[in-house]
Order: sequence, then C-alpha cells, then structure tokens
Amino acid sequence: MVSKTEETQLNRLENQVDNGGGGAWDYLCLVRKLKVRRSEKVFKYGLSILNDPKKRSALGPEEWTLYEQVAIAAMDCQCLDVTKDCIKVLQKKFPESKRVGRLNGMLLEAKGSWAEAEKAYSSLLEDNSLDQVIHKRRVAMAKAQGNISKAIELLNKYLEIFMADHDAWRELADIYVSLQMYKQAAFCYEELILSQPTVPLYHLAYADVLYTLGGLENLQTAKKYYASTIDLTGGKNTRALFGICLCTSAIAQVSKGRNKEDKESPELQSLAATALEKDYKQRAADKLGLLTSALRSLKI
Amino acid sequence: MAEDLVLDTAIRDWVLIPLSVVMVLIGILRYFVSKLMLSSQVPDPKIVKEGQVIVRARNLRAAANFIPPKSFRSRRVYFSNEENGLLFVPKGQAQNAQAQMFSDPNMAMDMMKKNLSMIIPQTLTFAWVNFFFSGFVAAKIPFPLTQRFRSMLQNGIDLSSVDVSYVSSRSWYFLNLFGLRGLFSLILGEENATDDTQRMMQMSGFGFGPSKSLGAEKDGLDIVQHEWALPKFEHRAEAVLKKLIR
Repeated sequence: MVSKTEETQLNRLENQVDNGGGGAWDYLCLVRKLKVRRSEKVFKYGLSILNDPKKRSALGPEEWTLYEQVAIAAMDCQCLDVTKDCIKVLQKKFPESKRVGRLNGMLLEAKGSWAEAEKAYSSLLEDNSLDQVIHKRRVAMAKAQGNISKAIELLNKYLEIFMADHDAWRELADIYVSLQMYKQAAFCYEELILSQPTVPLYHLAYADVLYTLGGLENLQTAKKYYASTIDLTGGKNTRALFGICLCTSAIAQVSKGRNKEDKESPELQSLAATALEKDYKQRAADKLGLLTSALRSLKI
Repeated sequence: MAEDLVLDTAIRDWVLIPLSVVMVLIGILRYFVSKLMLSSQVPDPKIVKEGQVIVRARNLRAAANFIPPKSFRSRRVYFSNEENGLLFVPKGQAQNAQAQMFSDPNMAMDMMKKNLSMIIPQTLTFAWVNFFFSGFVAAKIPFPLTQRFRSMLQNGIDLSSVDVSYVSSRSWYFLNLFGLRGLFSLILGEENATDDTQRMMQMSGFGFGPSKSLGAEKDGLDIVQHEWALPKFEHRAEAVLKKLIR
C-alpha cells in the first residue's frame, strides 16, 4: 500500500515530468520502488531515456534495470516490438539469467500463446521451485484465460507455502468475491486484517462481505467493522457511514419480533446519517435530496 | 600519576594511519573474494514454509483481538492441533532438525567458508599487529579508565606506572575492527561480507533450529486470551462522528 506522502510525491514528480521539467529518472525510480502501475508514462519516459545514448550511458549499471522496467511497461501497453528489442538487449548482456527468462515468459503471455508461456514458466520453476514471482505469473495467466477455478487452485497451493504473503490473500479474496463465495472471501479478509490491522480498507471490505452474507450475527459483526473503519479513517469514509445506516436498519428488520436492542450504539445510526448529510452538503449539494429521502426510507 | 606523556607524532604517521588503511584494504579484499566464492543456495521448501508459518502465527497472536472470536478459535485449532496442526512438532523431530542442519553438506560447507573467510584475515592481521606494533604506547584514550583494563589494553607495555589511558596498538586494532563497519557500509553498500560483528552474534545464537521457534510460537498462541476489541470500536466511532459533526 502506498502511503499518502509517497502518493503526493509521486504525483508531484509526474506533473513535473509531464510539463517538461526533467526528473524523469527520479520518477521512474519512485515508480519502481512503490510498485505502482503507470505503464504509459513509464513507457514514454523510459524509452526516451533509453533512446538517447548520452543519457543511457549516464545511468551506468542501472541501465539494465531500466530495460527491464520499460520491457514490462511496453508489454502492458501492447507494444510488443519494443519489448522484444529490450529483451534481446538484456539477453545479450545476461545470457543465462532467470530474470530474462521470466521476461520471455511474460512476452509469450502478452502475445497470447498460453501453452508456450506455461512451458517456459514450468521449466523456470524446475530450477527454483520457490520463485514467488513465477508462481504469481502462473496464477495471473490462469485468470487471464478465464480459468478461474484453476487460478484459485494455484493460488491456494501457493498460499500453502507462502502463507505470509498478504498480496496473495488479497487477490484470493477478490476472486472469491467475484465468484460470490463469500464465506471463503471472509476468511481471506480475516487473514488480511490479522497481518495489517490498521488498514481501514480491509475492515471495510470484510464488513461488506459480512453484510452481504446476511444473518443477524453477521450483520452485527458487520456493523462493528464499519464502526472500526470509521474510527480508523476519522469519519471520512462515506461507504462506512452508509454501511452503518444500512446495517442498523437491516438488524432492526431481522430482529423485529425479538426485542433484542443492542444498547451499545443507539445513536450511531443517527450520527452516521447526520455526518452523511453534512458531507453531501459540502461536496454534492444537488444530491442532498436523494440522500435524505433514502435515509428516511431506511429508518422505517 | 597525572603527568602527561608526550607521544611522538611519528607514531600517528607510522602506526595509527597505516593500521587503519591496511584494515580497510583487507576488508575490501574480503568483500570481493566473498563475492567470487558466493554459492547460490537453493532454499529448502520446508524451511521457507516454516518461516512463513511462524510469521503467520505471530500475526495471529499480535492482532488476535481484531477478528471475531469464532474465527480466532478455529485458527488456533488449525495451528496447534495435536494431529496435523502446523505448529505441532512431535518430540522426536525436534532434535533431528538441529542434527540435520549440521550434517547437511551444503550448509556445512557454506558455514565453513563464511567462518574461514572471517577468521583467517582476523588472525593474520592480529599476528601482524602484535609482531610489528607492540611494546610501545600508541595512543591515549580521552577518558580515564580503571586499573582493570590494564591487562587488556596495554599488553606490550610492561611498566605498571603508566596511566591506563595510554594504550598499545592492539587496542587500536580492536577499535578499528568494530568501528570500520560503518565505513564499509558506506563504501560497499549494505550487506557486505565484512560484517563480522553481525556474524559473531549469529554464531552465538546458532543452536536455534526452526522447530524450537515453532514450539515457542505454539506456546505463545495457547496462552493468548481472545478479547474482541471490536465492540469498543463502536463507541469510538460514535465519539469520532460526534466530534466531526460539531
């Protein structure tokens, strides 16, 4: 996850480079460090650096990392000729390298020749069965081919060994949600919360899944997690505020017969509604009418 | 005893500085040699898996209060189950892991290489210092010391009336040994083979096989009392929202 300061720094550098202010190399280094996906810009500026022999020699040994970065960005932008050239240069310099082998596999993937890419990756895995990146590429390939069950199977096997990799858990949770397997998705989100308890996004996603599952206990738990999201984001997260309102009304509906009022937060719903109204007034005043009518229908 | 000895500046020129220069050069030499002799070790899948299990178990212990009690309990059972729990190691196996580590030829070779590359230059340099630079006062330490340090710092000087702050070149050698680490990380970048002190600390803690840490994690997990923190959050959210609306 990228922090706020890093994000502002990245945007600032991006603006600077876009307006012709130089600093392209710093931008590329930052993109590489933060692992964000800005392929068009990386492609444009990286290629301009590589094509200029003076700037290229000024980079020294970092030149090869730049080749790799531009190759991947070119594949993302579907400019496969540029990719092939970059890989050729890298292969000449590092003939037996596993990283270049991986780039070759990715090129096959980008061209759409799945079987050959699968072969390339399996041979790379034979040499080193614990290469995390290659495992993940196989999962990505299965997903791109539309074979979601295979993707799930591969990802589960990967997680059996590398169970501390929270990016993989997040991907698995996404896949489960897309397949509406909410119980499994809830498990994955719990793993994520365990590894990074202070990231509000995971609380929010977990609460969403619990709310979708339904049932009184899940709704109550969902309400608690929406509350924790509000706490972690200082009340600014609109989705969590909506979540609270919806949860409370759903709980009221489900427990209509039984008089089990949870004494903990009778005010929470009205507070959330007020906060929402205030927010809408500030940012989207024309939609305030819609909001008030929706909230009114909830309370009934 | 507070008279000040005047030390010849020639000592500085011909002892302190060359000694430091030689140590820096030897360190750089060792770095390159270690790069040449680097054998890429294929990580054992079992060890990697165990490492990851430990991280996950530790996360579970640390953030246990953030997930619902049922999930926590099911995870705890998953980890410390008697039959196939991840952290459960039967008694017999615990001893094996350590023995296995020593008998595994690759790992033993690696360890030997690393140890040798550290011990030999140290021994040689130490012998060289002793041979050439002993028997005279090399430097004065700026703060006063007790008499205890005399035997350690003044090995070549057989006069017991000299103040303990005046030390021989052997202590300058040791000072350089531990102090040049910072300089090396500047010149050679992080992760260089000259990090002797780190290696020495690793060697002392070496009896720690993976199964011991698994057992430790299991005990830790058994102890944890789950206290669900979420209900508190509802109150806190209320407070936050109240403040926001004001």
